[in-house]
Amino acid sequence: MNNLYSALKVAASGLEAQSQRLRHVSENIANADTPGYRRKTISFDEVMQHGQRTGAVEAGPVRLDPRQLEQIYDPSNPMADADGYYDGSNVDLLIEIADAREAQRSYEANLKLFDQVRQMSSALFDLLRK
Amino acid sequence: MYQNLTLFRTAAAIADHAGQRLGAVAQNIANADTPGYRPRHLAPFEPDRAAGLSEQMRQTRDGHLAAPPAEAIFGARITQAEASPNGNSVSIEREMAEAAQISSQQQRALAVYRHGMTVLRTVIGR
Repeated sequence: MNNLYSALKVAASGLEAQSQRLRHVSENIANADTPGYRRKTISFDEVMQHGQRTGAVEAGPVRLDPRQLEQIYDPSNPMADADGYYDGSNVDLLIEIADAREAQRSYEANLKLFDQVRQMSSALFDLLRK
Repeated sequence: MYQNLTLFRTAAAIADHAGQRLGAVAQNIANADTPGYRPRHLAPFEPDRAAGLSEQMRQTRDGHLAAPPAEAIFGARITQAEASPNGNSVSIEREMAEAAQISSQQQRALAVYRHGMTVLRTVIGR
């Protein structure tokens, strides 16, 4: 029973990490046209407790993509420099969509496992009921 | 049979093993995108090793000494597979197949347990 609960906790940590990733993807997409915006990326880490692995996952700190910002030519823009260029964002929509798809797939896998753990523990309770 | 209910103990140990296996699968799926993570799976059930389960320390509070992980009893194996560019080699498809196997393992154990109960009830005439 204890194992099932810890499996439930681990699956929940996976759900949380993936949804956090999805949130950053949507922030990036929303700011695809914001001048000077750098896309945010996160990486996942295993959670350690008292020096032991717990198997849970957590999203690491947010990092900014160091890739060069896109130079946009628009002399009429108030932020344009002497040559008529201003800094756009370095968000690539194609990458963001692919990232969102992967996050969704992993989220669904975690959810499916969460559901299976619940079914297995209710099968155990059914034994008690009889 | 009625003095020493090995049948029930083995069925319970198999169900317990299924729970531990599912715990390992949950860890693998949760870490499906963690860089450098290698998936671990529990070794198959063995009745001889299961005897060690009932004798291990139990952790009932956070402050207690950590009980040995299930891997220490049944042994875990790291599955070798081709890793993605970030060093992660979890395959969600393989984990899903493992989860389905685990589900049937648990159902089988519970069915045996339930049937044993029916036999016992018949014996005492209820």
